[in-house]
Amino acid sequence: MSAWVLIVDDEEMIRENLKAYLEDEGWRVAAFEAVAPALRWLREGTLCQICIMDMRLPDMDGNTAIRALHQMYPEMEFLIHTGSSSYSLPDDLRALGLDDDRVYQKPLNDMAPLAAAARTLAAARETRP
Amino acid sequence: MLPSLWSPFPHRCRRLRICLLAVLVVAIGAISPVGGIAEPSPPTSVSTATPPPSDRAATFLDEASTHRRNDDAPSPNAVPRQSGLLAAVLHYAIWILGSLAAIAIATLLWSSLLQRQVTQRTRQLQRELNERRQAETALRESEARFRDVTEAASDWIWEMNGNLRFTYLSERFYALTGIAPQHVLGRARWELAPGDLAGNPQKWRRHRQLLEQRQPFRDFVYQTRLSDAHGEGRYLKISGKPIHDAEGRFRGYRGTGTDITEQVKAEMALHESELRLRRIIDLVPHMIFAKDRYGHFLLANRATAAAYGMTIEALTNHSHRLVHGADEEVERMLADDLEVIESGVSKLIAEEAFTDHTGHTRTMQTIKIPFVEPGLNETAVLGVSIDITEQKHAKEEVARMRLYLRNIIDSMPSILIGVDPWGYITVLNQPAEEMSGLSWETAQGRFFGDVFPQLESQFEQVRQAIQLGRPIKTPRMTFDVGGELHYADVMVYPLMAESAGGAVIRMDDVTARVRIESMMVQTEKMLSVGGLAAGMAHEINNPLGVIMQGSQNILRRIDPDMPQNREAAAAIDADLHRINRYLAERGILHFLEGIREAGARAAKIVADMLSFSRRSESHFALVDLEEMLETVLRLAASDYDLKKKIRLQAHHHRTRLRPSAALDVLRQNGNRASDPEFAQERRPSHGRRRHAVADHRLAHPPRTGHRFARSD
Repeated sequence: MSAWVLIVDDEEMIRENLKAYLEDEGWRVAAFEAVAPALRWLREGTLCQICIMDMRLPDMDGNTAIRALHQMYPEMEFLIHTGSSSYSLPDDLRALGLDDDRVYQKPLNDMAPLAAAARTLAAARETRP
Repeated sequence: MLPSLWSPFPHRCRRLRICLLAVLVVAIGAISPVGGIAEPSPPTSVSTATPPPSDRAATFLDEASTHRRNDDAPSPNAVPRQSGLLAAVLHYAIWILGSLAAIAIATLLWSSLLQRQVTQRTRQLQRELNERRQAETALRESEARFRDVTEAASDWIWEMNGNLRFTYLSERFYALTGIAPQHVLGRARWELAPGDLAGNPQKWRRHRQLLEQRQPFRDFVYQTRLSDAHGEGRYLKISGKPIHDAEGRFRGYRGTGTDITEQVKAEMALHESELRLRRIIDLVPHMIFAKDRYGHFLLANRATAAAYGMTIEALTNHSHRLVHGADEEVERMLADDLEVIESGVSKLIAEEAFTDHTGHTRTMQTIKIPFVEPGLNETAVLGVSIDITEQKHAKEEVARMRLYLRNIIDSMPSILIGVDPWGYITVLNQPAEEMSGLSWETAQGRFFGDVFPQLESQFEQVRQAIQLGRPIKTPRMTFDVGGELHYADVMVYPLMAESAGGAVIRMDDVTARVRIESMMVQTEKMLSVGGLAAGMAHEINNPLGVIMQGSQNILRRIDPDMPQNREAAAAIDADLHRINRYLAERGILHFLEGIREAGARAAKIVADMLSFSRRSESHFALVDLEEMLETVLRLAASDYDLKKKIRLQAHHHRTRLRPSAALDVLRQNGNRASDPEFAQERRPSHGRRRHAVADHRLAHPPRTGHRFARSD
């Protein structure tokens, strides 16, 4: 049984492309256009370890969403996929363990590194006691 | 005639006297036997008596008359005998008359005799008297002559006795001194001068010693002032000699005196005047001196003496050579003195060095004036030296400051033209000289419009600035300089000092600023466009992402090597290999790759644009310098033609920078490096031109300066 990846991005085709790629890579992918439906989906009880979060979202910004999700699901690891080239990680998110390697600028010419990062994080999570 | 007539008179008189006496005896003898009326004195007694003849005759007549009065008294018993009596009376009468006649004749004779004798005696007496008078007159004249001579030589004559007390003073003493004789006679000299005695005891002691030694003395001066007298005393000068009698005994002193009060007063006034003059020249802080032709000081004031470290008394009559330490200065000064003395013309030495006794060298300004020294009949030199050391320093400071100010206005990049109220040039600074091609001296006095035709229109501003007393600015005046449009800000400001009216025209070439401002405006426009582009670029990233990720997914999902693809194709009976071959043959795969690459390139351009347009962003991040330079070149390629190689020498390939600022700097320097004018300023180094770039905006920390070099 493959692991779940949660994608939150307001751009549908971005969601779809990421979803297609990751599914091809063997992930189960849940993609949402906003944070609220993603939360609803999580509350349904699905265990999701990886979340690929866009920053500019219709209901809240990505940083706030990460803080909220981390509070609710501390085990969840986050990758940031943003179209803003001026984005820089806030210090509090760095304190949560995020770093610049978790940030992926749109447009991604190659989605392989993102998929590899997700895999690495998931593997690390599983080996963690 | 008279002396000859009267010369025998004494002998003849004596004879007459004897004859007269004989007549009188006869006459008396004739009377005495008849009556015995009278007892006249015998003639012998008369002859022995010595009263004068007139007196004796008078006595005789008086006695006769007495007898007659006694006889004339009437007797009552004599009438009977009247006839006899008458005869007797007649007899007596005749006798008496005869006697009387005789007496009368004798008397007349006597009287005549006496008359003649008296006349003779009177004449003799008169003669003697005349002689005596003549002698007395001669004596008086002699005395007066002596007195006149004495008093001409002096004022008065005095005498004192053996006790040295005054016994005589001639009248002029009292007249001159106003001292009454009773205050002087009987008193000693020192008693007349108590004040002087108290003031000069030594002088009086010596004087009294001389007197006690009976020595003559001359010109003893003292001030007489009686203790009870009012007013000022008199100054007396006396000379005296001791008097001795025939036996050589000392009898006192006699001498002359002169009132020298006026002389003493004049001398005192002169002395006071000299003292006043001395005080005045001593108060003068400048050196005042007089020297003779041999360099001896005849006069020196306190400042002069102080300069030589001496007292005035010590300096006076000393040789300049002996008192002045600096030989060179002495010789120069003495040469000047001699020149003035010999030419008789004053000389002004505007500046000369003078080393005082402390070794301190001062700068003096000296005037030397020839003058004839009274009493010497020799020309000397009077000098006044003024210490101008401070003034000289001040003057040098003024000159230095003038030079400094001149330097300031010359160093100003602005063109400065000083003009008077009529527009004539008073001063130009160096840039103005360069602009006009004329030196300050040449341009001075010329109308500024003639020298600077491009500023001629500013004359009205000059006039207004002076009139209104405030600057008038004309911004952005345009000029044609070699066919190129130049801009200048021209400001005319009035000169405020009352002594120097006029104005200054200041012209600043602001062409570069105007161009920069223009560029700034353009840049601002670009920035605002950039900001807009940034927002747009962000939105572009999403569709780009869709394109690129979509392309990747398409390429992946037609790949026959992926099991998922094969499974999906098999499910619909499709031959994935054939499909893939078809796509390849028709170039579709190539087109898809092209879409992907174009997307990637577009994404890169958007990313570069965003990094440039992000003006407000300021953060440090790790950057790859080579990559950054590639970005610069990529962007710059659209700005200018970079045909030449650019080589990077970096000490660190990755460093922390503000990427946007670093890009700006690199790009600007890249522009400058390609600028031919800039390139000319660089110095060759090892056969290639190098340019070091360090910009404060770029580096953090500072050691991250890098070398950017271009080889031609």
